[in-house]
Amino acid sequence: MEGAMQNEAKIRAESKTESGPRGPGCSLRHFACEQNLLSRPDGSASFLQGDTSVLAGVYGPAEVKVSKEIFNKATLEVILRPKTGLPGVAEKSRERLIRNTCEAVVLGALHPRTSITVVLQVVSDAGSLLACCLNAACMALVDAGVPMRALFCGVTCALDSGGTLMLDPTAKQEKEARAVLTFALDSVERKLLMSTTKGLYSDAELQQCLAAAQTASQHVFRFYRESLQRRYSKS
Amino acid sequence: MKETPLSNCERRFLLRAIEEKKRLDGRQTYDYRNIKITFGTDYGCCIVELGKTRVLGQVSCELVSPKLNRATEGILFFNLELSQMAAPAFEPGRQSDLLVKLNRLLERCLRNSKCIDTESLCVVAGEKVWQIRVDLHLLNHDGNIIDAASIAAIVALCHFRRPDVSVQGDEVTLYTPEERDPVPLSIHHMPICVSFAFFQQGTYLLVDPNEREERVMDGLLVIAMNKHREICTIQSSGGIMLLKDQVLRCSKIAGVKVMEITELIQKALENDQKVRKEGGKFGFAESIANQRITAFKMEKAPIDTSDVEEKAEEIISEAEPPSEVVSKPVLWTPGTAQIGEGIENSWGDLEDSEKEDDDEGGSDEAIILDSIKMDTGVGISNIGSQDAPIVLSDSEEEEMIILEPDKNPKKIRTQTISATQEKAPSKKSVKKRRKKRATN
Amino acid sequence: MAEAAGVAAEFFASNRARAARAVLDQVVLPGEELLLPEQEDGEGPGGAGERPLRLNAGARSRVRVVCGPGLRRCGDRLLVTKCGRLRHKEPGGGGGGVYWVDSQQKRYVPVKGDHVIGIVTAKSGDIFKVDVGGSEPASLSYLAFEGATKRNRPNVQVGDLIYGQFVVANKDMEPEMVCIDSCGRANGMGVIGQDGLLFKVTLGLIRKLLAPDCEILQEVGKLYPLEIVFGMNGRIWVKAKTIQQTLILANILEACEHMTADQRKQIFSRLAES
Repeated sequence: MEGAMQNEAKIRAESKTESGPRGPGCSLRHFACEQNLLSRPDGSASFLQGDTSVLAGVYGPAEVKVSKEIFNKATLEVILRPKTGLPGVAEKSRERLIRNTCEAVVLGALHPRTSITVVLQVVSDAGSLLACCLNAACMALVDAGVPMRALFCGVTCALDSGGTLMLDPTAKQEKEARAVLTFALDSVERKLLMSTTKGLYSDAELQQCLAAAQTASQHVFRFYRESLQRRYSKS
Repeated sequence: MKETPLSNCERRFLLRAIEEKKRLDGRQTYDYRNIKITFGTDYGCCIVELGKTRVLGQVSCELVSPKLNRATEGILFFNLELSQMAAPAFEPGRQSDLLVKLNRLLERCLRNSKCIDTESLCVVAGEKVWQIRVDLHLLNHDGNIIDAASIAAIVALCHFRRPDVSVQGDEVTLYTPEERDPVPLSIHHMPICVSFAFFQQGTYLLVDPNEREERVMDGLLVIAMNKHREICTIQSSGGIMLLKDQVLRCSKIAGVKVMEITELIQKALENDQKVRKEGGKFGFAESIANQRITAFKMEKAPIDTSDVEEKAEEIISEAEPPSEVVSKPVLWTPGTAQIGEGIENSWGDLEDSEKEDDDEGGSDEAIILDSIKMDTGVGISNIGSQDAPIVLSDSEEEEMIILEPDKNPKKIRTQTISATQEKAPSKKSVKKRRKKRATN
Repeated sequence: MAEAAGVAAEFFASNRARAARAVLDQVVLPGEELLLPEQEDGEGPGGAGERPLRLNAGARSRVRVVCGPGLRRCGDRLLVTKCGRLRHKEPGGGGGGVYWVDSQQKRYVPVKGDHVIGIVTAKSGDIFKVDVGGSEPASLSYLAFEGATKRNRPNVQVGDLIYGQFVVANKDMEPEMVCIDSCGRANGMGVIGQDGLLFKVTLGLIRKLLAPDCEILQEVGKLYPLEIVFGMNGRIWVKAKTIQQTLILANILEACEHMTADQRKQIFSRLAES
């Protein structure tokens, strides 16, 4: 699969002269986050990126069903609920991506034979939904006090037909884009934890998007830090 | 996950407090918790908070063909979901009794009371009508789900705007919001549920019970009413016997509460409309209380991506050139080509593709064994008469065959061949066959 | 995956391991690395950092550092795994000491020696199953009560509240509680009375209330005569003379979570007047 992708990217690069990503106009929409807003889950967070909004609730380390018990680490589950209708294939695929990202940073070995459940509810989708889900999940995990080796964030990039790079695209921008790339990055070395892409792009464009996402992640992590500092300002 | 059990001491304390007309959160007997209504940026999206209980409502619409017996009526559909987010005991994808009960009650309260003019939802009689779908998600459960859900449902319906349509002859044209302003639903009245919890066999009553009160109550009376004091539905559960006076008293209280709540809803709707009209900021981001220390906002942050290009180039130049891939596509069969070496397939029957690559004898057997498995449908009838062991070609038997790798597999191989009517197959032809199957 | 080394320059500058001493009582985030005091000179700004120092480097000052909740040893440094304020307690002998992260967590994880409030969920043979809010119920032997013998069983019903202590609590085993100390005395533990109110708060609040220098308890005690039990698992049981007083006390304690010391002082003085 990787080979095929590379090939595709190559063909693309040869056939098309690239126009570089523009410097200005790249920005993150306004961010907002509220933690611990639900009384029942062990941790919760509502994360807003522009008009996109996701609510996350975390339970854990809690009891686990015998059928799902893992003897040397915690069972991590992610449930993503769409706003209308029943969850379908798209949700399952996203759940998996988010689960794999969380698995990479959560220190599950500290709580064997327990379950850590992340429930995500889409509140409104106005673009960069997966990135917002990742951010909400991270803030909820932090709120629940689940041990993690690093924080993570999600950044979505879009490339339009002219090759212009857009960060944190809106639904409209995503729709018109030639390619949409979502990355999950960790806070320590800012390495890639997860990436998912849609559409055609060259390998140079991939690296550009990744570099832009890394720059953007700095702002997201700063946002995390400031909101957590505010949260603990009275203790 | 299990719910935290309720201790005897909590139960006793709650009941004694109720006897003394005291409640845990300092409310009076007939008090509601605070109700907060916030709207999303989309039409028909709202979050209703009743104390700590939270419900998200979203209305959506779709053009469908009507039910046969109601050719000129639109369709209303309600769906309340109890997400695990709301309480650990709610399991995903399970239809609990509570969920069924709540959904039935909502339908009775909103659909059967005919609060929405379904005839106005008809576009072409007998052919196209609007289906209005109301999705309600419980986000946090702190008791009295039904009241919060019924408020969320009616608020979302009032807030919703459907796209405008026009009919010219047989042609139905849908207009985007930019072309024509979307139209609101026509709503006759607003039914709202009010819950009464009964304790000590109906001696004591509380309005709007919270979760702990619900756990010690004996029975529940739900009255759905609109502001004209018309009862839309009434349900008593828990098997308590109520006197006529009690029910009448409850309906009187319900009338007052419904009046207050309706007023609040209308105020919230007006506010939202005003803000939208004036072009102000609206949506959930605006409803996050800034003074809370658990909340934090960041304005739009410009990101300097001017150096991204250089960095990308740097990385690419440093990176090793990609290993040479097979430049010539290999054509296996018409319509099936292979580019590159191909790596492990993470779909379904990946064991096969792995084994294909090495041409060891052992793996060869495996392939053939596998092909038997797949061909059983065809093969069994032929093989059965010839040799007993092969008839047993389901997964358990595989193990048995592997125990004697020298003898049996050979047999199997020849028999498979005869079964599938192929001439002395080389490894290659077997492989090809496998390929084909994999692509199917 | 190619790592964009250059991009990270600014980031690493802000996120390079900081000295634990320098961030005491500050908010730390998961993923941060902390240097212990004796490493600072070696790896300070501009320092060579050539000599990796072990936590238990025998030749040099032999200091014992204990990683509390929210911290893990990562090579010769401390890795933060939870968000909260970094705290430190000096040991008697100087140097080292205990470091931990003070977080506002709700979910309890059993720790050996912790005193908790549990709810009896089942009686099975010789043991009671007790819900303590962890990932699995704790077991409690009927012999683990003061004065209990095989003949003289304690009177414990399902749904009763138990105040006990963990003797076994680790991640791989079922936690086990007892209601006696090492001398076989109850020492305050056992079944909690049938009256009074149980409510849940965050684990951080419990630690705050039980801190030796916390004024809240004294202030609360001045309001009404009361009986109170704190479980490290975030449960508080309180009983005053009347239902009204019990409710007031419960609400005050709950509200202490998000108040600064000054705000608390105001509230208490207002309450004392009324």
